[in-house]
Amino acid sequence: MMLRSSSTIAATSVGVCHTQRLWSHSVTLNYRLSQFAGNPLLSNSAFVKWKRSIGSSNKNNRFRMATKALAQPLQNADELIDSVETFIFDCDGVIWKGDSLIEGVPETLDMLRSKGKRLVFVTNNSTKSRKQYGKKFETLGLNVNAEEIFASSFAVAAYLKSIDFPKDKKVYVIGEDGILKELELAGYQYVGGPEDGGKKIELKPGFLMEHDEDVGAVVVGFDRYFNYYKVQYGTLCIRENPGCLFIATNRDAVTHLTDAQEWAGGGSMVGALVGSTQREPLVVGKPSTFMMDYLANEFGISKSQICMVGDRLDTDILFGQNGGCKTLLVLSGVTTLPVLQSPNNSIQPDFYTNKISDFLSLKAAAV
Amino acid sequence: MSSLQSQALSVENFKDVLDSVEAFLFDCDGVIWKGDQLIDAASQTLDMLRHKGKKLVFVTNNSWKSRSQYAEKFKSLGISVSPDEIFSSSFAAAMYLKVNNFPTQNKVYVIGGDGILDELQLAGFTAFGGPGDADKTIDWKQNGFFEHDKSVGAVVVGIDPKINYYKLQYGTLCIRENPGCLFIATNRDAVGHMTPSQEWPGAGCMVAAMCGSTQKEPVVVGKPSTFMMDFLLEKFNLSCSKMCMVGDRLDTDILFGQNAGCKTLLVLSGCTTQSDLQDPSNNIQPDFYASKISDMLDLLGA
Repeated sequence: MMLRSSSTIAATSVGVCHTQRLWSHSVTLNYRLSQFAGNPLLSNSAFVKWKRSIGSSNKNNRFRMATKALAQPLQNADELIDSVETFIFDCDGVIWKGDSLIEGVPETLDMLRSKGKRLVFVTNNSTKSRKQYGKKFETLGLNVNAEEIFASSFAVAAYLKSIDFPKDKKVYVIGEDGILKELELAGYQYVGGPEDGGKKIELKPGFLMEHDEDVGAVVVGFDRYFNYYKVQYGTLCIRENPGCLFIATNRDAVTHLTDAQEWAGGGSMVGALVGSTQREPLVVGKPSTFMMDYLANEFGISKSQICMVGDRLDTDILFGQNGGCKTLLVLSGVTTLPVLQSPNNSIQPDFYTNKISDFLSLKAAAV
Repeated sequence: MSSLQSQALSVENFKDVLDSVEAFLFDCDGVIWKGDQLIDAASQTLDMLRHKGKKLVFVTNNSWKSRSQYAEKFKSLGISVSPDEIFSSSFAAAMYLKVNNFPTQNKVYVIGGDGILDELQLAGFTAFGGPGDADKTIDWKQNGFFEHDKSVGAVVVGIDPKINYYKLQYGTLCIRENPGCLFIATNRDAVGHMTPSQEWPGAGCMVAAMCGSTQKEPVVVGKPSTFMMDFLLEKFNLSCSKMCMVGDRLDTDILFGQNAGCKTLLVLSGCTTQSDLQDPSNNIQPDFYASKISDMLDLLGA
């Protein structure tokens, strides 16, 4: 029989040495967050419980999505295309895989544009800025503007702007170049980033790690140069700087950095900071609807007029569902048909198909 | 489980404790020592208890050292303790595999220190990783394939100040791709006093990083899990009702003692203050609290 303290978030007890919890930021932010109705930013503990249920097939989890009709194979592509104004595409596993374009993508995007559809690209990958992604699209021969791209690196800067994060406060970054570039573009001062990957510490008496008391937000994303120095720096800021925000670009468990295999994703780095601070972050990337609400507002689009196309159930499809749009799962990325149809999976997109170029090949069935 | 307010240890209630308790379980960090410094009169207190015929057992979540390395540490501080009396979470991880008949032809990947590697090897398992992987990097320009040993049947995660992406990726692939691979955490303490002057991220950080990438929860062998308690109860033929757990952390030490049904004494010489204990948001109430273990000496002398 395990006693559980009321402060337990994880499935097993976590340390509560410091009872001082810096939740004061949530009061000042609520009025801003209220703009984003239904936003999982407001219910991170529910999000965490749900995420755990995906891996552990916990039949008793309390946050199962409402049972939905089973996903239908896409048969009448034209009908779907005609029913929406905007297509939001995930990138990895939908447009490209690693550095290779997926078959038929350029023609598909051209076709949709020729039908007057707005195209938006939303990726949880924070290693590049939207401008750097624009270059990637260009290199692959695709006609896409930086303004059509919403990477989680951009989402961080957009979020800070939306809450009027003071320009005299600094941001400590555990993450890569994309985040730094977006913060700089938005006029924020940052510390940390990849160069802290070379910093060493010596755990011996007399060694004291100092941290900048002007840090008002710690941003955590995918970080291949992750180390203990960064964890400690971020932890000190979050625990000791009054009102310091803890923001995550995304919590993807794994990511396809290379075509051939999965790699530990941003969810790992964010998990580390959750473990040491015992606080849940504000998540700006999918499946949080922050980016959806932002672009709907930016482009004046109604969500019922959007179709979200992605390859991941727990980020892309959930993102679309949370936002109230139509959802299409493509099997050209990380999700296979058996996973979609598994009894353990409770996320049902409206439709599924092999790849986006099926839009070109699938026609209405003859009556 | 009692939710009565904790009482300050006094002459009367300590006398009752001494009469009814046969074995004292002590946490180490913040109770016996802080960093590498002995806490005031800790040695004399332990001598007094031994003199009164009490069994002493030391239970620590710190997996950085093995039991014999901890015995060395005690010795260097002038306290005589046998490795058999020490239960570190490094030892607990090895014992967990042993009692669960982990096949010796399967390997163990370690994210943590030499303490874990040593205990695993002592128990007859093939373990690798640990500090040896601290300097491993990945050449991102190569776009190569990250290999991992398919015969790894368990990944053990403990405190690791040399945590890096290589280790996270290696452990993640083992847990996600090797069928039946176990995910074991030595403990989940969020922070600890790695240096006397400030707290540093604990094993809870590395374990949560692995939970984030694998979407699995680990088996936790350290406090407050009852694994170590069940193990030592059997080993020493002790009875919970005749034991007292002494520690400085509410959610590991005190919870550990309460889960087993023994008496609990919180000392304020470590990471918990009196205001932490008495904060309305705290609902873990030890039976007793004292400023440090040598209060036991003072109360006897009074």
